[in-house]
Amino acid sequence: MLEKVELENLSKGNIVAYGEIYRGELNTSSLEILSPLKEIGKTLNKKLVLVCLIDSLKDIKNLEEIRKSLADEVWFVINEELKDFREDLYAEVLVKIIESSQPYGFFFPATKIGMSLAPRIAGALNIGLCAHVNSLEVKDNQIVMARPTYGENIIAKLISKSTPVMATISLGAFSIKYGIEEPLMKEIVFPKDFVWKSKLKIRNFTPFKKKPTKLSTAKVIVAGGRGLKNKENFQKLFELAEILGAEVGATRPVCYEGWVEEERMIGISGVIVRPKVYIGFGISGALQHTVGMENSEYIIAINTDKEAPLVKMANLALIGDAEKILDLLLKKLSK
Amino acid sequence: MEKIIVCIKGVPKPGTIKVDPETHTLKRESLELILNPNDRAALEMAGRLKNTYNTEVIVISMGPPNVVPLLKHAYALSADQMILLSDKAFAGSDTLATSYVLAKAIKKLSPFSLVLMGLKSIDGETAQVPPETASLLGIPSLTNVKNLFMENNKWIAIREIDYGEEEVEVEPPLVVSISPTAFDYIRPPSLKKLIEVKSKEPLVWQAKDLDLDPQKLGLQGSPTQVVEVSEKKMEAKGIILEGNPEELAEKLLEIFKEKGLIRL
Repeated sequence: MLEKVELENLSKGNIVAYGEIYRGELNTSSLEILSPLKEIGKTLNKKLVLVCLIDSLKDIKNLEEIRKSLADEVWFVINEELKDFREDLYAEVLVKIIESSQPYGFFFPATKIGMSLAPRIAGALNIGLCAHVNSLEVKDNQIVMARPTYGENIIAKLISKSTPVMATISLGAFSIKYGIEEPLMKEIVFPKDFVWKSKLKIRNFTPFKKKPTKLSTAKVIVAGGRGLKNKENFQKLFELAEILGAEVGATRPVCYEGWVEEERMIGISGVIVRPKVYIGFGISGALQHTVGMENSEYIIAINTDKEAPLVKMANLALIGDAEKILDLLLKKLSK
Repeated sequence: MEKIIVCIKGVPKPGTIKVDPETHTLKRESLELILNPNDRAALEMAGRLKNTYNTEVIVISMGPPNVVPLLKHAYALSADQMILLSDKAFAGSDTLATSYVLAKAIKKLSPFSLVLMGLKSIDGETAQVPPETASLLGIPSLTNVKNLFMENNKWIAIREIDYGEEEVEVEPPLVVSISPTAFDYIRPPSLKKLIEVKSKEPLVWQAKDLDLDPQKLGLQGSPTQVVEVSEKKMEAKGIILEGNPEELAEKLLEIFKEKGLIRL
């Protein structure tokens, strides 16, 4: 079924994306990152490869998604020791693949696993690694990566002087696209003397009980920032969200303040959203946040500061106290 | 038990950030630095482990001399010794060059049982240094750890991934980044230690003390380079309405109806 390829015979110079498979399920953020990488591959005339580490092919729940993906090839490494995610072993396997196939670029989705794995590889190979990239382009035959930085309204463009060019790509920064042709599926055969050993032992796994928030696919989002003044006011957003059929989002400072859990953070280090309607209460719009919501179809900003970046971005900006307006709104809606 | 090493970072006080127009890196020397807020959880973990296992805690930081007050603060919280890694040659380091210096300093402190760091700094926000340092040391790493204890001379860590929590067993030594939400309560420094630290100064290690390859240091040792920084400027593009809250709330309701969010 799968064409087998010896490690040392892998094709060279490709653009490789990490296909994160956890307990038999492909994380769709790995499909997101294929979208920009396909474009880069076309420009640089390089093949796009998705590499997946698994313990058995038959247990993969969403193999169809992989078959439809933009990748030109999918490389599987199959070994029972890869059942659990253990970063030391996973990194070693990927380092071997990089050493033998000398890719031009190697990219990870910025999931918790991706961000745990990519730096180990960068360290082992002594190469550069950029974090949370949300835009990629080719300039003078070189991959240039961009990310907002320093918590201010500054965008930094980065290059890597080492090969492969390596980066983690922000979650939700790109949408999933599907390919026309089914990718070529291959299994990488590791040399007999490779030691499948990890110092880590996963003793137990407890899945999250509550459903993950549907922020990234929400049609309507009500988001709050420091302008709501306190946690109690912030919590009122949930009432409004209930009435509007919306999801609640937040800025980084309020997540750090503990007003709401971090998974509701919109922005470069959180979730990137593109709803039909986005309503920001007391959010001034630091770049860290706005890159996460700038593609919303209709943006409403409620803020006291007329000069705030979000006010300028908005289709409709209301200059006023977010707390008061939220209270009045809830009162009117409950009637 | 062998010692625990905590790595902390001084980050610019939010709102005071300046970028060097030549190198596009942060101007750290001239900044008012605060302890990276995420490092508080790592220090708290160290303090709790110290109480339980009676181990020695060493706090280290790479940065300009103005991180000394932060090292002293960390000392008062949970440490027995402070080390400052400071040298002009370290300036402009990316995560690889930073991890290289940290790994060399940590190696010099061998044997050790555990290296603790915050999940990520609030300025760079890469979260890369803990696993990168571990990789350079050739030891395992775990990120987003919420709890940590010892069982039969092995570390047991509860770490968070995107799907849930895993309980992981690993023999020391190990590098761990602590989740910022690991603790509901962070204990204040003890008065006794606050007084004690007044008369203490950190040990200072420069590049020459660490057996370093100069090619791997600072800006020139950093494979990732910023080629351009641009400020995002915005012109107002939509309707801006001012008025009393009552009017504005009415306007919102109108829009909600128009967008089909409510039926009234």
